[in-house]
Amino acid sequence: MSLDLPIVFAALMGLAILMYVVLDGYDLGVGMLMPAADEREQDLMVASIGPFWDANETWLVLGVGILLVAFPAAHGLVLGALYLPVAAMLVGLMLRGVAFEFRVKAEGWHRGLWNWLFWFGSFLASFAQGLMLGRYVTGFHPGFGYYVFAMLVGASLCGGYVLLGATWLILKTEGALQKKALAWARWGLLWVALGVALVSLATPLVSTTVQAKWFDFPRTLALLLLPLATLAAGWRVWAATGRLKRGEREFDWMPLAATVAIFTLAFAGLAYSLFPYVVIDRMTIREAAAHPSALKFMLAGVIIVVPFLIAYTVFAYRVFRGKARAGLYE
Amino acid sequence: MDPSDVLLLARAQFGLNIGFHILFPSLTIALGWILLYFRIRYARSGDPAWLATYKLWTKVFALSFAMGVVSGITMSFQFGTNWPGYMLRVGNIAGPLLAYEVLTAFFLEATFLGVMLFGMNRVPGWVHVFSAAMVAVGTTLSAFWILALNSWMHTPAGHAMDGSQIIAGEWLQVIFNPSFPYRFTHMLLASGLTASFVVAGLSAWRLLQAGEDASARKTLRTGLVLAAVLAPLQILAGDLHGLNTLEHQPAKIAAIEAIWKTGKGVPLVLFAVPDDQRRRNDFAVEIPNGASLILRHDPEAEVQGIEAFVPDAAPVAPVFFAFRVMVGMGVLMLLAAWTGAWATRRGMLPQRWMLWAFSGFTFAGWIATLAGWLVTEIGRQPWLVTGILRTRDAVGGASGAQLGASLTGYIITYTVMLIAYLVVLTHLAGKGASA
Ligand code: HDD
Ligand code: HEM
Ligand code: HEM
Repeated sequence: MSLDLPIVFAALMGLAILMYVVLDGYDLGVGMLMPAADEREQDLMVASIGPFWDANETWLVLGVGILLVAFPAAHGLVLGALYLPVAAMLVGLMLRGVAFEFRVKAEGWHRGLWNWLFWFGSFLASFAQGLMLGRYVTGFHPGFGYYVFAMLVGASLCGGYVLLGATWLILKTEGALQKKALAWARWGLLWVALGVALVSLATPLVSTTVQAKWFDFPRTLALLLLPLATLAAGWRVWAATGRLKRGEREFDWMPLAATVAIFTLAFAGLAYSLFPYVVIDRMTIREAAAHPSALKFMLAGVIIVVPFLIAYTVFAYRVFRGKARAGLYE
Repeated sequence: MDPSDVLLLARAQFGLNIGFHILFPSLTIALGWILLYFRIRYARSGDPAWLATYKLWTKVFALSFAMGVVSGITMSFQFGTNWPGYMLRVGNIAGPLLAYEVLTAFFLEATFLGVMLFGMNRVPGWVHVFSAAMVAVGTTLSAFWILALNSWMHTPAGHAMDGSQIIAGEWLQVIFNPSFPYRFTHMLLASGLTASFVVAGLSAWRLLQAGEDASARKTLRTGLVLAAVLAPLQILAGDLHGLNTLEHQPAKIAAIEAIWKTGKGVPLVLFAVPDDQRRRNDFAVEIPNGASLILRHDPEAEVQGIEAFVPDAAPVAPVFFAFRVMVGMGVLMLLAAWTGAWATRRGMLPQRWMLWAFSGFTFAGWIATLAGWLVTEIGRQPWLVTGILRTRDAVGGASGAQLGASLTGYIITYTVMLIAYLVVLTHLAGKGASA
């Protein structure tokens, strides 16, 4: 049997990036929501993501790792073109990561400072990631319009992460904080709807390659399923938060699940737009791929290790299932 | 901007980042095992003093680990942003090793860290002990893979050519390349020493404030005894490492020993001010025939000097001085650890001046470790991968302005983080385990 290794690794990379966006997305979102909560609630919010954030960020390392190992030619090109937003994201992730630790140990105004840095780091990292996405889908074209577009994507991604964070809090908290999270989720959803609409309209305008792929009858009719399903998932979030707010019967995981569906669908649309390129209009998956010997050695590792990885990830989420409790190192 | 300035900035940025990053792994790798020891002592004895000890050091560990993680994530982007030529040339070897590190080590340590830090009351005791063990295994595995790659860059082996591409011929030879066993051992011991002096130093700091603190007495003893065992082992390992380097990277040894000319019966330079411009030593203090004796075990043997390697020779002065800082610290650490182990026998409390001295040694491991890495990495120049890729051929297309801007951002962020880290560490240590 011969596997098409570059395609396999493109799929794995896509999976790692999607995992990253969803997982770190919810904890970045929680970080961005911090200023909206009072001090006791902030402790609970941080406690709800404390056991997970490090492993969540590891998916980013894996995504970049696969880009590095499987598509070395694209790795230099992409990260070189995104030099400054990458640096901004890294500074954001650093501030946020250490603020986790420092905010609990600090007292007085120091604590306020670290809370602020926690918020700022989360926001900076999210916005920078959106910028990167915006630059990436337009093939890094220079020009004012393209930069405005990238900013727009940046803002939309922040909205998306806020939605993920709020729906995560709906699952992990109860009482007054959960009530607040329900309201946040609805705001987040509106923001995301606006963002997705603008980005969907703008993308075909800024890239003719993408335009050609979507406006190709009769395929367009089948492709219509994607936006329709996204709409349905969005509606599900709206309806479920409504029911939870009114105290009607509803699963507290439903808003989160539907949000994850929105992200997955948007991701699928993006993947469809880009394929078979790693760098749109410039470099295909096959052109960028590493030597088959390197890919084979990697694949062996993936096949052996991933079952364990899934097993202990499930284990960790089971250990911390249920509502979050404040208190560290207990 | 002049391309050589861009190269300089890229190197400064990489050196700063990795130099910042390594501070934390060098502490957490061994501290993970020390914590496991505290945790098992508690599980065995049920003594609340061990529990308090475990909890205090878990806080130090969590803080250091977070610093390690965030600076490490930065590192994983640096390869692409600063050295695209590196991945293009040797990506088929470097990539998979980095990927194995992520798959086998990073996920393991990151996931079990959550259970270790937040799960003590949520899982049975043995599961908690197991989680602590997995974190320690994860950090050690991570060192295994990254050092395999780094050692391969120093002493490449097991690779083959396919057309113009460098690929792995034999993965086992790539991983267990000639300098790997030495570098891995030397680094693990370095981590052990770094952690034991941090444990001893912060405990001494606490005892200066509250001499009766039972937990701090336990940990002072633990740190000093561990250091007393590891220090001589490290000197032995370092010596063997040097002989291995002589075999595979003689140019580096010539720089370490500041030997300029090839000759027989070469003296050992104890101290000098090497002058890279004029290729000679000023103010040299030498032992006749010493270098021939320790390097070749024969006082009359021939030893190659820098002249044999020009133009592919490293700058001598930084390598020479960094090496002496490392070895000097190694000897001082040995003295401090043995004195301390003696002074704390049978539950004795050392005198105050000694406690001050141990506090002063808290970060001795950091100094030696950084010095050691400088020896290794500068001693490899001008090669990035010995004989295969030159550093200047790997630099990327980032502009000087971009590098300057991001470098400034990193410097500010790192300074803030390091200050906050040190303040919190001193604060935690001062309060002690009972608080
Ligand atoms: C000798 C050990 C050692 C060395 C030389 C390096 N690292 Fe490291 N790194 C570790 C030992 C380590 C460690 C012990 O595994 C971590 C985990 C927490 C910590 O403090 O250090 C770490 C964390 C860490 C992380 C975060 C992992 C996570 O999410 O848990 C990344 C992405 C890297 N490192 C990447 C790198 C890169 C690209 C390096 C080389 C240029 C590098 N490290 C040098
Ligand atoms: C962990 C401790 C390490 C420290 C403190 C360290 C330090 C340094 C320093 C100071 C330089 C600059 C040398 C010069 O420019 O003259 C350098 C270069 C470099 N090192 Fe390391 N290094 C470490 C580990 C590693 C590892 C594990 C790798 C790869 C797996 C690595 C890869 C490189 C690369 C790619 C360069 C760029 C070449 C250059 O800047 O000259 N280093 N390192
Ligand atoms: C006192 C005797 C010591 C000797 C003879 C010694 C010898 C060496 C040598 C020859 C190298 C360079 C190897 C190469 O690049 O090929 C080296 C590197 C290094 N040393 Fe030491 N060392 C000593 C003590 C220490 C101590 C006390 C520490 C830290 C606590 C330390 C940490 C390091 C580190 C981190 C490196 C870089 C990684 C490596 O190449 O292994 N060394 N040492």
